[in-house]
Amino acid sequence: MITPDGSSLIVADSVSNDLIFVDPRSGKVQKRMENIEDPYQLGFSPDHKWFVTAGLRLDRVDIYKYDGHDLTLAKRVPLGKTPSHMTFSSDASTVFVTLQDSGELAAIDLATQTVKWKMPVGNTPAGLWMTPGDRELLVGMTGEDDVAVVDWHKQQVIKRIQTGKGAHNFRNLDDGKHVAVTNRVVSTISILDYTTLQKVGDITGLLPGPDDMELSADRKTLWVTFRFARHVGVIDLASRKLIDTIVVGRSPHGLYFADRAPVYAPNPD
Amino acid sequence: MITEIVAQLDNVVSTLQTLLYVDVVQPIFFKVGLMGYDEDTYDALYWVIIGVLEILATFAILRPLEALRPIETWQDRKAVRSDVFYTWIAKLGLINLTFFFLLQPLFNHWQSLIAIYDIPNIDVDSIWPGVTDQPVVSFLIYLVILDFAGYWYHRWQHRFGVWWELHAVHHSQQQMSLWADDRNHFLDDIIQAAFFAALSLFIGVQPSQFVVLVALSNVLQSIQHVNAHLPVVPFLDRLLVSPTFHRRHHAIGYGHEGTRYGCNFGVLFPWWDMLFKTAAWNRLVEPTGIRDQLPVPEGFARNYGHGVWAQQFYAFGRIARRLRRVASA
Repeated sequence: MITPDGSSLIVADSVSNDLIFVDPRSGKVQKRMENIEDPYQLGFSPDHKWFVTAGLRLDRVDIYKYDGHDLTLAKRVPLGKTPSHMTFSSDASTVFVTLQDSGELAAIDLATQTVKWKMPVGNTPAGLWMTPGDRELLVGMTGEDDVAVVDWHKQQVIKRIQTGKGAHNFRNLDDGKHVAVTNRVVSTISILDYTTLQKVGDITGLLPGPDDMELSADRKTLWVTFRFARHVGVIDLASRKLIDTIVVGRSPHGLYFADRAPVYAPNPD
Repeated sequence: MITEIVAQLDNVVSTLQTLLYVDVVQPIFFKVGLMGYDEDTYDALYWVIIGVLEILATFAILRPLEALRPIETWQDRKAVRSDVFYTWIAKLGLINLTFFFLLQPLFNHWQSLIAIYDIPNIDVDSIWPGVTDQPVVSFLIYLVILDFAGYWYHRWQHRFGVWWELHAVHHSQQQMSLWADDRNHFLDDIIQAAFFAALSLFIGVQPSQFVVLVALSNVLQSIQHVNAHLPVVPFLDRLLVSPTFHRRHHAIGYGHEGTRYGCNFGVLFPWWDMLFKTAAWNRLVEPTGIRDQLPVPEGFARNYGHGVWAQQFYAFGRIARRLRRVASA
């Protein structure tokens, strides 16, 4: 997660319960912030006043106030079961969190740090993506083979877009129309048109377990971590082919590079 | 060179891990709706594969030594068979799996409470920044801490009667071999897992994160139980628990009797036995087992069970009798 001023990349260490701040260009460690419990996923609210961590193992979401430099704990919000991914509303009033084990989507009011509502969405919801204009929430259903489209205003699943088994996480393709979603079980990436809520294509021939993605600044290559294959892959979007793989360490998860195409707000950067 | 070998071994294990997960485990999990456990299971598979490789490696290296240079020669190896079963259960992670489902949520909850109520814990890595956060130093510190904890855990297993009846499953083996290390009462295994999970709440890191540390410990403990004459290296046996040192711990009349309820409790290092005066350096080979297993009049011919389930079940009977004696006293 990049800090709002772009000066640091925050890497969450959920085993040693701290955040590691790294120079986003050189990779040099700048500092460690300790006693941040079980930070599985992170996010800054669109107004940069709140920093939220989802504690997957501890069944909790921790909300911190952010003053541009320091984090001050506002509240620890118990949230069963297994909170994992998050996104925000554009007005920064709400953080949405998927609850993997209970199959729910929760909405938390940031100002009061209280749970506004929870709704069932399906088996093992994971990644979240807010469509532009805050119209719908797209939810990657890792225990199913679709992306759930949620009208969060009405708390209803209004559509399911068939993708592939294990729909997991999202990345907008910065063309005003498309978002990519990884299908971690079947090891493909689906391209969705979020204006029509339709799938328009698949990228196949990948290594096992595509997870997180990043888009190059020129929008020509999509980079992806292969969670179960210890590699990062580079996909040429014109041909939709895997053109390169890079060996990394065990179980790669998040992915970031400094020169990348913008992430559409209010989705966490 | 060692780094290169470890890296290659890591590659092999990781490749197996991917194949096993993607082709076997994940399809089953998806079908039965267990995808919430997919990431933990993928990570755990690495351990399982390491466990299987450990078994194969220790068997390949130690079994020939037992055949060529045995301490004891047995006509019938039937008594060893149950230990083989225990070893596969332990190394395939079934004990850890049981702990994960039964107790891990409780420990996660306690960890949460510790943070909420600001209960201090020791962050070992930050004791001496720049030094103790170096991976090798950190590894060695955790190795020593966990071994110290293991020493006291082991002493308590011998000291407290009810607990001893569980631990007696391990000591009841009269044919000690490379397989004996994992011969334990399953309840004692769970208690031990809980003990180290509790410890990890206060030192900040789960032992399971140190794959190399635990794998190393397992291999050394298999060597400690081996039924083979191994050369004694005079200085080395003051550094690491040797097979001779540990065999004394299993010896009838020496390993679990006396004012300290035994001797040579160390897991990897004999240092704690040296420090707390429970070390016995006598190298004379003695039969292993528990005194009351011996025929009358030396013992009571007590049967600790010949198969795994009998061994597990009989422990509860011994505990019940012990508690009845205490209640009637």
